[in-house]
Amino acid sequence: MISEELREEVYKCIKCGLCMNACPVYKQLYFEGASPRGKVQLIKKVLEGKLEPSEYFHSLLFTCLLCENCSVNCPSGLKVDRLMKAMRAELERKFGLPWQKRMVFHLLRSSRLLPFAMFWGRTLGPTLLSMFAKSGKMGTIPYARFPRINPVPLAKQFPETISPDKPKAGRVLYFTGCATNYMFENVGRSVIAVLRRLGVEVIIPRRQMCCGLPIFLSGARQMALNNIHHNLEILGLEKVDAIIVDCATCGTALKKEYVHILEELGENAEPARTVAEKVLDISQYLSRFDLKKFLGPVQGRVTYHDPCHLVRSQAVKEEPRRLLKLIPELEFVEMNGADACCGGGGTFQWEHPDVAAGITRKKIEAIEQTRATLVASGCPGCRLQIHGNLESELIQVVHPVELIAKSMKQRESSS
Amino acid sequence: MLKENVLQQLVSIVGPERCKTAKEDLLTYAYDAYAYEFRPDAVLFPKSSDEVSAIMQIASAHDIFVTPRGAGSGLGSEALAKQGGVVMCFTMMNRILEVNTANRYAVVEPGVVISELQKQVERHKLFYPPDPGSATVATMGGAVAMNAGGMRGVKYGVTRDYLLGLEIVLPSGEIMTTGTITTKDVTGYDLTRLICGSEGTLAVLTKIVVRLLPKPQTKRTLQAIYDKMDAAGTTVSKIIEAGIVPATLELMDKTIIKALEDFAHLGLPLDAEAILLVDVDGDFETVEKQAETVADFCREQGAREVRVSASEEENEQLWAARRSAFGAVARMRPNCMIEDATVPVSYLTSAIKKVIEIGERNNVLIAVLAHAGDGNLHPLILCDQRDSDEMERVHKSMDEIVDYALSVGGTLSGEHGIGITKSKYLTKQLSETGLRMMRGIRKLFDPQGILNPGSFLEDRQS
Repeated sequence: MISEELREEVYKCIKCGLCMNACPVYKQLYFEGASPRGKVQLIKKVLEGKLEPSEYFHSLLFTCLLCENCSVNCPSGLKVDRLMKAMRAELERKFGLPWQKRMVFHLLRSSRLLPFAMFWGRTLGPTLLSMFAKSGKMGTIPYARFPRINPVPLAKQFPETISPDKPKAGRVLYFTGCATNYMFENVGRSVIAVLRRLGVEVIIPRRQMCCGLPIFLSGARQMALNNIHHNLEILGLEKVDAIIVDCATCGTALKKEYVHILEELGENAEPARTVAEKVLDISQYLSRFDLKKFLGPVQGRVTYHDPCHLVRSQAVKEEPRRLLKLIPELEFVEMNGADACCGGGGTFQWEHPDVAAGITRKKIEAIEQTRATLVASGCPGCRLQIHGNLESELIQVVHPVELIAKSMKQRESSS
Repeated sequence: MLKENVLQQLVSIVGPERCKTAKEDLLTYAYDAYAYEFRPDAVLFPKSSDEVSAIMQIASAHDIFVTPRGAGSGLGSEALAKQGGVVMCFTMMNRILEVNTANRYAVVEPGVVISELQKQVERHKLFYPPDPGSATVATMGGAVAMNAGGMRGVKYGVTRDYLLGLEIVLPSGEIMTTGTITTKDVTGYDLTRLICGSEGTLAVLTKIVVRLLPKPQTKRTLQAIYDKMDAAGTTVSKIIEAGIVPATLELMDKTIIKALEDFAHLGLPLDAEAILLVDVDGDFETVEKQAETVADFCREQGAREVRVSASEEENEQLWAARRSAFGAVARMRPNCMIEDATVPVSYLTSAIKKVIEIGERNNVLIAVLAHAGDGNLHPLILCDQRDSDEMERVHKSMDEIVDYALSVGGTLSGEHGIGITKSKYLTKQLSETGLRMMRGIRKLFDPQGILNPGSFLEDRQS
């Protein structure tokens, strides 16, 4: 059941329509059902018992990136995204999940099957892909532009506790998330290298699982509960200064979503609140240090893309930019609409490739206009979507921490 | 209900993707930004004048009601299918066809969002002044059909003042153009301005030609803070009387200030009774001088403090917040009935006092917002539609506000339109002869009465 508090939310909508111009999906489709206002009004009808949830209603709820532009632009403060998420959870009981999602989520909720699948993905992936057409795409992204799976998962490349050479400047738990662990190993290595250089002890809990966000945002809250409880348990074990994440999405799960879900399910949300207070995006954590003296020059021109899950879900906007601006000789240039959604939206780009393609095109244009050689963004989903849709091979897509690590290395090798 | 064969004909014009009949879609086209709901039988999304013409031909052949609609940000059910039939929605017909810098005009399709046009022409150092609070939502078609006003009315006038010409489709399906692209044009009746503000009762808009101005060099936003509402009201009348013409002159009371601050966190003074938000624009020297004059004026009339915004960004934030006023008050109560009565500007202070008195006497929560410079009041009546006793008091208050405005030579509606919410007052302002003329004009355009039936012109007494 949708909580009483969220049910009252619908009466905050005065239908002024300010959310519509803020909604990237509406601005592709231009009909009311695709807009936040339309969805809120339909949810209101459902909650009042005046509309039986149909397949079509269900599909409209998933014609949404959950980018939260509507929520932050709503003058009356209606939490549109939370209402949408709760309604998706309601409908999952009625309509279930599509088989593809069921299959993937089954992997994500298992600590044994996921490494197994990744191993075979790594081994057989290229052969499997060569069987598909070269021009083939998954959603908007050509197969050829997907990153390779890490040869060895990141967590297996390091001991569980990585101690710095010099006196300890801090102690953190590092929640690597699936993307870094299995796909973006250089991001993880950069996080570890940077923290070591700063004298921070890093613990990578061996038993961490997928944060579960793709599962519960699809509505399958019960299915994700095991991941949530498990992660909360292991993240609560150690006494640390912070729990750091390099993934905007994992950060949002740990900082916000776990608390909301447990509260709405009427479970004890206290452990989630305790963990949430400790969670910091890597850019936030690094802001605590005086980095300047560790940094050497990096050539290039960089622009920054705000992931929805950082800029809106967590209100992290300035920290990553400050990091990039610290790097000597690296030129920082702001793109138009840096905080506009890239169109990825997790599984959205695969479910609605046409809509996503239109949204992503605007992002790519904004990037190209800056004539940057580097695009930095703290979200693996955004990096996949942007890299996957860039036509130029001259623009590299990175996590800000990769540039910090590179800059530190420059300094070290020159001194 | 639409007959299946008629629906098939309509689908054959726009295709199945642009003809929506699912219950969910019909529900989402049943509302605007006001209180009432009317469910259409189908929603069509034309993309060209030819499609609109074809739809109207079928509609007139089969006596199908058609109600044109833009973004649905109206405040009086004007664009709702009050008697069923088809809603013709223009959000997908939204191209800016031309921005002509040599002759300073633009040609747009009706679905273009007002702020989108403003942004585009500003790239050419041009300026489209009409700026309704809903500019980031509302479409140009809606703005013309309703003769939208807005915040820059005091200096720049309203939509009507920027219209050069139109392409329209008559209920019969005939396509015709009105006006020209020149500023001066006295050839025949001014049908352009007749269509403007006709609330979708005469013809369907398919192209709009607007006049553009050179973009003012710069602007400055002032925030004058008052401990007394009276003093704020008097300042407005004095500014106008003194011949100063600010670009905008907005007044908001403490309820609005609080709602905006809760949303936008701009550091607005929560203890103030009123704020005047004033824009001056023009070339650098004039703006500098005018800003000072206005600031002095405000202080003389008792402003506690006058803040001048430091940057363009701060200007933007303030105005973005002002745009959110209507939505932001929804934090307080579930519904907001927005009044629109307008008085001659010298009556502004007494009108505000009257509104406050009416609210207190009827035990109704009224927040006062006003495009003060042109006497256009926006009392926001905060209520809960689910409470019928309260709603009775709300309607009584609205009656009294209208009566007051008319008693001092004002008007029922400054810019929101009549729709169904104010049609009951129509005879208070228009004579029998006036109404007869209007109905005659409508009959000429739409003999079958298929366009936007149930509109303000319908004779409700009979």
